[in-house]
Amino acid sequence: MITSIMKRDGRVVLYDAGKIASAILKALEAAGEGDAAEAARVANRVERELALECGSGTPRIEQIQDLVERQLMECGHDEAAKRYILYRANRTRIREANSQLMKTIDEITNVDARLSDMKRDNANIDGNTAMGSMLQIGTAGAKAYNAAYLLTPEQAKAHREGDIHIHDFDFYSLTTTCTQIDILRLFHGGFSTGHGFLREPNSIGSYAALAAIAIQSNQNDQHGGQSIPNFDYGMAEGVAKTFAKAYVTKLTESVEDILDSEDESDAARAAVTEAAQATGHTARLGEGASEAEFDRLAAESLARATRLDGGTAARLVATARRRAWKQTDRETYQAMEGFVHNLNTMHSRAGAQTPFSSINYGTDTSPEGRMVIRNILMAEDAGLGFGETPIFPIHIFKVKEGVNYNEGDPNYDLFQLSMKVSAKRLFPNYVFLDAPFNLQYYKPGHPETEVATMGCRTRVMGNVYDPSRQIAYSRGNLSFTSINLPRLAIEAHGDEAKFYASLDEMMELVARQLLDRFEIQAAKRVYNYPFLMGQGIWLDSDQLGPADEVREVLKHGTLSIGFIGLAETLTALYGHHHGESDEMQKKGLEIVGHMRQFCDDKSQAMKLNFTLLATPAEGLSGRFTRMDQKRYGSIPGVTDREYYTNSFHIPVWYPISAYDKIQKEAPYHALTNAGHISYVELDGDTAHNLEAFESVVRCMHDAGVGYGSINHPVDRDPVCGYVGVIGDVCPRCGRRSGEALSPEKLAELRKKFPGVPSFCGCE
Amino acid sequence: MSAMQKQSVVGKDVPFERIRRITGYLVGTMDKWNDAKKAEERDRVKHL
Repeated sequence: MITSIMKRDGRVVLYDAGKIASAILKALEAAGEGDAAEAARVANRVERELALECGSGTPRIEQIQDLVERQLMECGHDEAAKRYILYRANRTRIREANSQLMKTIDEITNVDARLSDMKRDNANIDGNTAMGSMLQIGTAGAKAYNAAYLLTPEQAKAHREGDIHIHDFDFYSLTTTCTQIDILRLFHGGFSTGHGFLREPNSIGSYAALAAIAIQSNQNDQHGGQSIPNFDYGMAEGVAKTFAKAYVTKLTESVEDILDSEDESDAARAAVTEAAQATGHTARLGEGASEAEFDRLAAESLARATRLDGGTAARLVATARRRAWKQTDRETYQAMEGFVHNLNTMHSRAGAQTPFSSINYGTDTSPEGRMVIRNILMAEDAGLGFGETPIFPIHIFKVKEGVNYNEGDPNYDLFQLSMKVSAKRLFPNYVFLDAPFNLQYYKPGHPETEVATMGCRTRVMGNVYDPSRQIAYSRGNLSFTSINLPRLAIEAHGDEAKFYASLDEMMELVARQLLDRFEIQAAKRVYNYPFLMGQGIWLDSDQLGPADEVREVLKHGTLSIGFIGLAETLTALYGHHHGESDEMQKKGLEIVGHMRQFCDDKSQAMKLNFTLLATPAEGLSGRFTRMDQKRYGSIPGVTDREYYTNSFHIPVWYPISAYDKIQKEAPYHALTNAGHISYVELDGDTAHNLEAFESVVRCMHDAGVGYGSINHPVDRDPVCGYVGVIGDVCPRCGRRSGEALSPEKLAELRKKFPGVPSFCGCE
Repeated sequence: MSAMQKQSVVGKDVPFERIRRITGYLVGTMDKWNDAKKAEERDRVKHL
């Protein structure tokens, strides 16, 4: 007679025969093979066998489960047995995940981030801080839950074993990736962040401050980066308001000075109001006919009201305009400086991350827009408090022929300035609106049709769900999953047909998984995204009530399939990569073109935006490769490094000219409609040669690159403040990394260089 | 006052900052990069 059993952890508990019968019943019911009476019959057989096996001893729980399996089969319940086995396997997986989870939390808690690769998975989170660790623990818990409960066994296996990588997996059940925030629409009429209402801003200072708050707030509703696609157009309105106010103030002051009077604000305001009524606009920046007319009318009115002669009144108005311009320009600079500082210091997501932010600009040719662009570039050029290079936001300069690309274009000077800044600070990056796949959407006078980039590279433009809304504003990516392309190639053993067959299978699996995830996201309500949907940032969300499902409006977003390691894939399949021959370039384009076709077909079939992504390899770089090295060993040119090459890039270690690299990579930009970026690496000296820098940017434009940037080393010595290329020794102060400077040397440096940081407490 | 500023000898144990771009983002220093990304940065060759 059995009285007790031993659980997995060694505890001995009372034997309960009813539990066996109830487990058997569940399996029978799931298989549609029987009822409680049948379950009791099978349970009796299990009990008899058990008594034979261990007499009055204490059986282990696994022993009982093995018997249940066997008895189900012996009684002819094959399907129920199968269900029972699956159930057991799943329980085992969850148990293992739980103990793995505890191990992970243990590592997060106790190991220094410098020694833990896992803790440096996302370079933007400091795993050594309290909030950073809390975020990582939450991430670990969410991942374990999602893998056990939300993926199908097939998807879980593919993700776990590195056939695919589901990005932002910790947020699987929670939210979507990113949005291009139309900052103007948000500001008009004011908005709420959930803890109070913010009125529509009235100066460039407030515009810039609220733009930072909007990015921060929306970052808390989503797991990816945030972007403003119309930074110049958006901030221009703030500049206009600041100028209109400054015009009145400066005019008042000038009149008071000349009349030696205490208060002439009524006369000045009346003059401006009269001019505004006649011209139909407020005092505004610019040197056009209408601005001249405005000034003339204001002077006339002023002369009448104050009995100043016409010439003097006109002179005062001209002075007021000049000074108002100067003050507005200064305030704009301060606003831009504050914006950059804010985005590098403010935190979101439980205080652990600075928001991933991007701003796009370059095409607004209005005087106000131009003032914004010039000043944001100058603020970026100046850097942070001690001259540090700002990490955020990502600056993206939109390049367009007829607007800023060629000499004579209205914003050509700003394009030139942008390259000077990029050569020093690595930003801006460049998005090319003339690339055919971007130009097809472009409508002059409609900035929402200008392609903008967000975060690392995400691009959202085409719209299969609603072809009348092919715009950048108020849309974003919903989720993305990447395919381990090199593994498919290795497994194909040189058989091209086999490779394509497995690629199709894998893309089908990923598409299915993206749809499953969409189902979770779409079933959420507006109140789950209080800022993104509640404040109407997402396209058409302003049509929804707080408890409405977001399903329909989410369809404006994209579901993206990514890939990594085209170079290694080609090498595994054919022996060399696309940097090495035109033949391989053709093969590479065939593979990526095939993937794009799959996405287009899927989009049409589902009326959803499936797009192809040249995956940003953050976090993924290394993960696939480690697993494949373990599986296949070191294969030359394929698994013999610690990482797979980024998307379609020519391998970073392969010697190639900038020109050839751009020519090779450009055609892939046309295929990867979910986003892409190409880099060219320059050494410090070449980068600072503006002609060389410009020739690379122009080469990208002319080759049809969609988005690109130039990498060059930017080092800084925090002790003497030097920014530039530093080898082993700092060219300014002569110290090596980690060496101290003498107080005399420091004093000498401070005399020569105003930018040397000050150190309190030691001098 | 930052920890660096409290040191009696200016610059002792203060490393150079090396800012690099990875996957479109800049990262303040490479200390926080994972091993594979560090290896990728190390292997990069210049394009002329």
